[in-house]
Amino acid sequence: MSQTLAALRTTVFVAMRQLWERKLLNGIATGGVALGVLVLIAMNGIMLGFQEKFTSAILKISPHVTLFDTELRPQPALLQRFTGGLVSAQIAHESPSERQSQIKRPYEIVRALRTIRGIEAAAPSVAGTALLEFGGKTKSVDLRGIEVAAQDRVTPIHQYVKSGHLRDLDLSSDAIALGSGIADDLGLHVGDTVHAASPGGKPLDLKVVAIFEAEVPPVDKTRGYTTLHTAQALLGRTDSITRIEIRLEDPDSASRVNERLERTFGYDGESWQESNANFLGIFATQDMVVRFVIGAILLVGGFGILAIQIMIVLQKQRDIAILRSVGLRRVDILLIFFIQGVIIALVGGGLGDVLGKVAIFYLGMLPVKSEGLVKSETFLVHENPAFYVWGVVFALIVGIVASLIPAFRGSRVEPVEVLRGQIG
Amino acid sequence: MARSADGQCRPSTDVLVRTRDLTRTLGEGDAKQTVLHGISLSISRGEFVALTGASGSGKSTLLYLLGALDRQTAGEVWIDGVEMGTLDDDDRARFRNERLGFVFQFHFLLPEFTALENVILPIMRRGSMSRSAAEDHGYEALRMLDLEELYYRKPGQLSGGQQQRVSIARAVANDPAIILADEPTGNLDSTNAEGVFQIFGNLAREQGLTVVMVTHDTDFAHRAGRQIRLKDGRVVEDTTRDVPNRS
Repeated sequence: MSQTLAALRTTVFVAMRQLWERKLLNGIATGGVALGVLVLIAMNGIMLGFQEKFTSAILKISPHVTLFDTELRPQPALLQRFTGGLVSAQIAHESPSERQSQIKRPYEIVRALRTIRGIEAAAPSVAGTALLEFGGKTKSVDLRGIEVAAQDRVTPIHQYVKSGHLRDLDLSSDAIALGSGIADDLGLHVGDTVHAASPGGKPLDLKVVAIFEAEVPPVDKTRGYTTLHTAQALLGRTDSITRIEIRLEDPDSASRVNERLERTFGYDGESWQESNANFLGIFATQDMVVRFVIGAILLVGGFGILAIQIMIVLQKQRDIAILRSVGLRRVDILLIFFIQGVIIALVGGGLGDVLGKVAIFYLGMLPVKSEGLVKSETFLVHENPAFYVWGVVFALIVGIVASLIPAFRGSRVEPVEVLRGQIG
Repeated sequence: MARSADGQCRPSTDVLVRTRDLTRTLGEGDAKQTVLHGISLSISRGEFVALTGASGSGKSTLLYLLGALDRQTAGEVWIDGVEMGTLDDDDRARFRNERLGFVFQFHFLLPEFTALENVILPIMRRGSMSRSAAEDHGYEALRMLDLEELYYRKPGQLSGGQQQRVSIARAVANDPAIILADEPTGNLDSTNAEGVFQIFGNLAREQGLTVVMVTHDTDFAHRAGRQIRLKDGRVVEDTTRDVPNRS
């Protein structure tokens, strides 16, 4: 048998036995690692669960890209480019134009959009704010005038209709579909007639034909849909189209597509990521905080291994001396403690995985009423197999790093010094 | 012998250990202290040597140098044709494993392992035989010391005398050239001490093993084949006696 193999066999034999014979201490170290991995899995599960739910909620009811009626600034004048910003005249106090902005030739743009690869659907709409009045209560709504069939392909509203039928919007010129939050606030039901008005437009009495609930409170509490014509009349914007909403085959390409569309059509556009930048920004911060917490807990687990191993090395000076005297090299001693650290980490990681799995299972059943960004009855937990792999990988890294110092220390023990101390 | 390729090896076939001007200083600066002053001696194969001297006479230091556990400050230590000063740390570990067997005052068994496992650990490290062959070998060594029925016990379940016999079995089982014992009887009652002394005597007489034993016990020192007495790091007495039954 080769020397190396014999050395390895002996070190593994000694390492495993010593590990097993110190169940309490090593169990504590293992528990520390397991706890770190458990937190890693559970926190990631909760975070991602919420974020994924939010993102999918956004994606189901919001367009992937929206083109607005703001024309992008034309290129600066030739003279201005040369003089570096100096112009001959400037209007000191420009009064805002009365002319309302709108997308010019919107239907041509929509038709063009529908031919572009990667775009699944596009729909023109007009948006504005209207006041609804019913039973003495008023409420301001974000009113959208839509082409029902086209809009439904971009944002599938009909899936979330609780009562009534979305297609009834097309059947009459004075119909409205409302979010469940508005309906609840005003006490409206399908079939009720609500008075609607907007400055500059014509007040109308609209009949509620559908109530939808997308489980996205910001939408359910503010959004109302009518046909394009009804909204244009109500908002006083005859023939205007103020936005074109687009659905993509790949939502993740939204930013890239948006840039291209802005360049092509000259209107300001916004991807869903931009529209929700505030939330996505919060998520990024949240992710960072969670990673920090996980890192801190794993670090504590690592210190557990470190402290216990250092203690064992100090207690085991005699054993190290005897092992060295019967022929184990420094590197063999190093390996003994290193193997122990790695095994503690692996067992801790595995245990953490099991506990994490259990935690994910029970967290998913924990009743938590959420009415904020997304509506849910339980904790939203996302389970990703990668968590378990990462748990073990991080545990291993922690175990390796934490056992290096004790292992090195153990390998530096001089047998003669120990023997001299014992015997004098 | 395996390691006599050096060329400088002394021609005598009978001499197993030879030191020349062996000096060891400990500490640095003002605390510097010379523990051994130029020791020159040689020990033949099969000799049973008692190293004696008061505390601090340097006898343990000499033993550690003979055992490749410590490094000399100056001079040479030849064991079995190899000069210890020329070996690096790993080579010394290997040398200890293959050529030397140690017995210490406080038994120094690994508490987590059974008697048999303690005995076969050096054999496992050497890798010269399979695990089961090593166990047979270790069991044989235990049997020689009347411990075969206790092979499965851990040190905590053994008496002091039994522990010391297990550690002798460990020292013997890997077929060493020399057994180095540091006050092996120092922690035992007189009956057990006598037993351990007898074992060493038998190992030297019957198996031709070289035994170097540090001891405080003057009786044992007189009964050993040779007594080397140290005082303040110098050899002050080196007596060889006729030992009966020596082959």
